[in-house]
Amino acid sequence: MNRKLLCLMLFIQLLFLAACGEKEIKVPLEDVGMVGIIAFDYIDKDSMKLTVAIPQYSPEAQRSTQTFTVVTDLVSNGIVEIEKLSDKKIVFNQLRVVLFNEEFARQGNVRKVIQHLYRNAEVGNKVLIAIVKENGEEMLKYNYPDKPNINFYLNDLLQPSINTAFNPNTNIHDFMYTITNPVFDPIIPFIDKNSDKIEIKGIAVFKGNQMFELINPKEALIIQAIQGRKNLAPLDITMEQGHGKEKLLIDLVENDVHLKSNKSMTSPKLTISIEIKGTLSEYKGERENDLFTTESLAELEKDVNKELEQDIKTFLDKLNEWQVDPSGLSEYFRMYHYGKWTTEKKREIVSKVAIDVHVKTSIISTGTLK
Amino acid sequence: MIGTGILSLPQQLSSLGYSQAFMPLLFGVIASATLYPMVWISSKYPNDNLFRINEILLGKWLGKFINLFFVIQFIVFIAGIISNYMHLIQSTALQEQTITGPVFCFLLLLVYIVSGGIKSIARFCILTFFLTIGMVYFTHWAFEKGDMSHFLPLYNFFSVNDFYEALKRGYLSILGYELIMFYFPYIVDQKKAYRHTLIGIWISILICFITTAISVMYYSEWQLVNVEFSVLNLFKAGEFSFIERIDIFGITLWVFLILSTVAAYLWCAKKGVDSLLSKKSKAYLYILAIIIFFVVKMPFSRDFQEKLFIGASYVGYMLILWPILLIMIYAFRKKKQVQL
Repeated sequence: MNRKLLCLMLFIQLLFLAACGEKEIKVPLEDVGMVGIIAFDYIDKDSMKLTVAIPQYSPEAQRSTQTFTVVTDLVSNGIVEIEKLSDKKIVFNQLRVVLFNEEFARQGNVRKVIQHLYRNAEVGNKVLIAIVKENGEEMLKYNYPDKPNINFYLNDLLQPSINTAFNPNTNIHDFMYTITNPVFDPIIPFIDKNSDKIEIKGIAVFKGNQMFELINPKEALIIQAIQGRKNLAPLDITMEQGHGKEKLLIDLVENDVHLKSNKSMTSPKLTISIEIKGTLSEYKGERENDLFTTESLAELEKDVNKELEQDIKTFLDKLNEWQVDPSGLSEYFRMYHYGKWTTEKKREIVSKVAIDVHVKTSIISTGTLK
Repeated sequence: MIGTGILSLPQQLSSLGYSQAFMPLLFGVIASATLYPMVWISSKYPNDNLFRINEILLGKWLGKFINLFFVIQFIVFIAGIISNYMHLIQSTALQEQTITGPVFCFLLLLVYIVSGGIKSIARFCILTFFLTIGMVYFTHWAFEKGDMSHFLPLYNFFSVNDFYEALKRGYLSILGYELIMFYFPYIVDQKKAYRHTLIGIWISILICFITTAISVMYYSEWQLVNVEFSVLNLFKAGEFSFIERIDIFGITLWVFLILSTVAAYLWCAKKGVDSLLSKKSKAYLYILAIIIFFVVKMPFSRDFQEKLFIGASYVGYMLILWPILLIMIYAFRKKKQVQL
């Protein structure tokens, strides 16, 4: 009896009280606008242009992507403004790519914007960052005739594949890690719209908070090699080592790198030894017809070593002249330094360091044809 | 015992910078050392828990007063853990909701576990262990991406203050073993209790060590200081082809860890109330749960709450040293008896 009464009471309470609850504002899925790409364009010191691209799922719509642009001073303020324009609730859960235009990177505070996104729990850490040459808004609003959707296109383009492994593929965590770590300077891929396509033009190197210089993908490959990435993109080498002009491509590169510093802050010296293994997939030059013996291949390897050593040395000297350190060379001095490491110390080391490069190439095969 | 502490352990230790990685090992040594007096004093009274021992050694009134103090500390401590976790849930998973509902559900579940007595808690703890230990696997992406060279140079800190700060804030994460003084009478093989507890402690120490070591590898020093729930960010480094936000997965599984921790504390608090009023009743459990609910939902500023919870956990340190005092009293009494 007692239990019956209790059940009855509960039932009555549920029936009547259920209606008394405050109606929670939950947005149904079709009313959510999931931002896929967000772009920032520089206007002046206090304001920026913010553009978002949202995939459009409605079958009636003419275009597959909704884009909205506002001028704002704060990121979150801009999102509120966009919500006023849009028919949907703007969320960041599906954010994939953040773009900055070149001027923003050079003048504005990229770090502040990224830090805002890093703090936001909706945003994952794997959101990719890229720098756009001219105008981010234009890039998002352009109608790429052979691409279904800019959201997927840009994301796929910036994801590293083996052939574009030079692409440092900087995501939010990488950027925050390198910009807050006093041994690094951040690097971000640099893209440009080239008629109907988007192309990775190079890599932007930062010095402190600002973009400083642009380097080409081949040089970025050196940064990746020194940072110890195991698999590298195909190496395209042009050399002139006594056999006229030669061009060769080494495929499937396996990389092993060792760095050793002399632990001295006053006269720093760094020895870099790189071992690469790969297949010689194509060769064009004088020796074309006598690369069948192991001796001649060893000869070629030696020349490649020399060429690579020169290339790497020239590139690192250039970086040292700029006093930037995208590959974290100064880490090998910080490791032996007691006390706090600062950015000034990095600049000091990098400007003074003497670098010694040793490359050991081994060509494992020349393909299946003799 | 692993609760919310480990989630932010790398941040708590961040005053030491990269040198924090080895702190958990030191904690382990301290814990093993302080565990011994606890087991010793408990083994002198194999059928009584600490609340009874207090009354026996300190006299009825002083003992009761101290016990009341412990019970209050437990309540605030439990509330602190729950509120911390709910804060995390709110800031990551349920952003458009207030926490009243989740807290209520959580407490309901908690009361259900605790009302089964110490056996049900123990079973739940075992279940939790096997359910959550797999999460260690989620950190391997961060490990791959991290940089080993961050460990060098070893012991790169100077001020004793930094060290003390890290000790004070970080040790919280391994608290929980002191509860053995309360459930000691229920242990079947009391002779081996010390060894078994030691194994337990070192398992959690190992997990703490893995956490801090990987954090040191994966983060820059700035990130160690500023990323609040670093472990979840470690999970964020990973990616399956079928699930992208592993951190959300982690947070939800974490509820098991929180439940098992809080259940043990609540059970002890309930025992405390039993001994205070010298009467046993199931109703105390519900009353305690209600009190906890109001402490979590109290209408004070977040700042005040935070201070209160931190205060409670510092009092927890006292509990670790408490058995040493008891041993002294015990020895003193013994001598007196011998003289008589």
